[in-house]
Amino acid sequence: MNTPLTFQNETLHSRLLIGTGKFANVSTMIDAVKASGTQLVTVALRRFNKAQAEDDLYGPLAQLPNVKLMPNTSGAMNAKEAIRAALLGRELSKSRFIKLEIHPNPHHLLPDPIETYEAAIELAKQDFLVLPYIPADPVLAKRLEQVGCAAVMPLGAAIGTGKGLATAEMIRIIIRDSQVPVIVDAGLRAPSQAAQAMEMGCQAVLVNSAIAAADNPVAMAAAFKTAVESGHTAHHAGLMPTSEAAVASSPLTSFLSSND
Amino acid sequence: MTNPLPNWLDPNPWLPHSQSTDLRAIENAIHSEHPTERELALMLSPAARPLLEQMAHRAQAITRRHFGRTISLYTPLYLSNYCNGGCLYCGIAADRRATRAVLDIPQLDHELDAITTAGLDEIVLLTGERMPEADTAYIREAIERAAQRLNNINIEVFPMRQEEYRSLAEAGCTGVTLYQETYNTTVYEQMHRWGDKRDFHARLDAPNRALRGGLRTIGLGVLLGLADPAADLIALYRHTTHLLKTYWQAGVTLSFPRIKPQMGGFQALHAVDETTLAQAIFALRICLPAVPLLLSTRESAAIRDGLAGVGISKMSVASKTTVGGYSDKVGDSTEQFSISDERSIETFCAMLRNKGLEPVFKNYDAVYREPAVYADVP
Repeated sequence: MNTPLTFQNETLHSRLLIGTGKFANVSTMIDAVKASGTQLVTVALRRFNKAQAEDDLYGPLAQLPNVKLMPNTSGAMNAKEAIRAALLGRELSKSRFIKLEIHPNPHHLLPDPIETYEAAIELAKQDFLVLPYIPADPVLAKRLEQVGCAAVMPLGAAIGTGKGLATAEMIRIIIRDSQVPVIVDAGLRAPSQAAQAMEMGCQAVLVNSAIAAADNPVAMAAAFKTAVESGHTAHHAGLMPTSEAAVASSPLTSFLSSND
Repeated sequence: MTNPLPNWLDPNPWLPHSQSTDLRAIENAIHSEHPTERELALMLSPAARPLLEQMAHRAQAITRRHFGRTISLYTPLYLSNYCNGGCLYCGIAADRRATRAVLDIPQLDHELDAITTAGLDEIVLLTGERMPEADTAYIREAIERAAQRLNNINIEVFPMRQEEYRSLAEAGCTGVTLYQETYNTTVYEQMHRWGDKRDFHARLDAPNRALRGGLRTIGLGVLLGLADPAADLIALYRHTTHLLKTYWQAGVTLSFPRIKPQMGGFQALHAVDETTLAQAIFALRICLPAVPLLLSTRESAAIRDGLAGVGISKMSVASKTTVGGYSDKVGDSTEQFSISDERSIETFCAMLRNKGLEPVFKNYDAVYREPAVYADVP
């Protein structure tokens, strides 16, 4: 069962979002995007290059049918810079989507919750579909939902580390409490981890490094596609409960009722 | 009596590890999940040389994880080679018989146009020590003109006061490269015979002033060949981590200049061969996974090809080290150092692509151009 993912009046039939940096070349990136079946890709504003087509990530992506573009604010150190970048990104891409990422420490790229919150308030007011990249903090997630974010994107682990769902317990709480889609962004390495996030009840996952840094990015993109679909289907199919002990198939207490 | 290094910078406690012959300890260091000064020193030991291949593989995996299959490109632009400095190793020191030149504004525009036409988007503007021919006001004007054409503008000039750095940040400058050259204070004094640069501690403090002035990145480096490379590289690592802890929103990048024959015939006191250079780069990549490591055209094409993506994440390309070298609108001037890799942008990028690496020309946007504020730093 694969229901669409909706953000206000935008509908996506794929629950895999793709980041477009780190690829060995643009044609591999485009092939990976196609193989992933994604309908929403994010591009760093700093990689928009109108002056030189060969170096531009935006142009080739804009050619793809059925793929929406979501500029991101990577490079912004604070709310003010992120807002400026978002406005410029919308002007260039004509997309309402903005991946709000403010990670002022260039060495671990972990998101700044305070600046992100302040920028989200302003961008939501300005009619963006704001998808913020955030620490896996359930309180922050609710606060961002309340100021009008279209989704929340907690990290599974730090960007590019491939450490998977290191924050799984916090993500479970975010999913339980959230009224907007929860999308795990960053940290995933293997399709099985994407499937696990979807089984937990995430509405989507966003993947970049795991695909771009794979030996065969196009094949890995296809693997993530099926993993996300499987995980989503499994979540709705209802996973059986876990148990410490084996459950015997022949009941031991059936004799009781016959004596009543 | 030379002032000793502050505790936070002193490499001496770890130096014995850089002479270790314990192969098992070195191998553990290479594969350490949480490397420290100790692991760095072990990887820099001569005994680590037989394990260089392992180090290269780990360095490549880490580079790929943090920077993807990409190499960022930049190019230097020499504004002036006037200099009153007394650096014993430098081709444009005051006592060298050098042909001096400084770009006037029309010449600067020609140079910038040539660089822009080539598609490059990140430059480093260079001068010698503080001189009337190329002072802060001149550098600011050069930054303003560059900022009209390019997104990412850095400087490699003389150390400045905090207010001067702020003025440059406001004009559009994002980063400063400021090599300490060596962290050995005795060698430092021998090498820097006169002038402002002779003050080791004033230079050491300059990154603080630059970051407080609002710049976003600091490029550090030691001039390999001046002193014991292990000691200098451990101090460089400590300088890096110290800045990262103090200015947690700042970026630090590292370069690996190495003494090569040039005017004046200066001979390296501790010659660093190619293997030692590679060993240094691999070891620092393993210890500083997310720090951009740069390699310039001072190195040969063969070395650059080998290290691209294997530790190194950012490279200069098609560099000219004479004043006016890009547009040929200025007469001959003496270069600061000679270039080994003279390949064109096209040839260099074709090499990168053959290796499965994408050259990235634009990796920053002027929309973020604004002096940084490190709120929690006094």
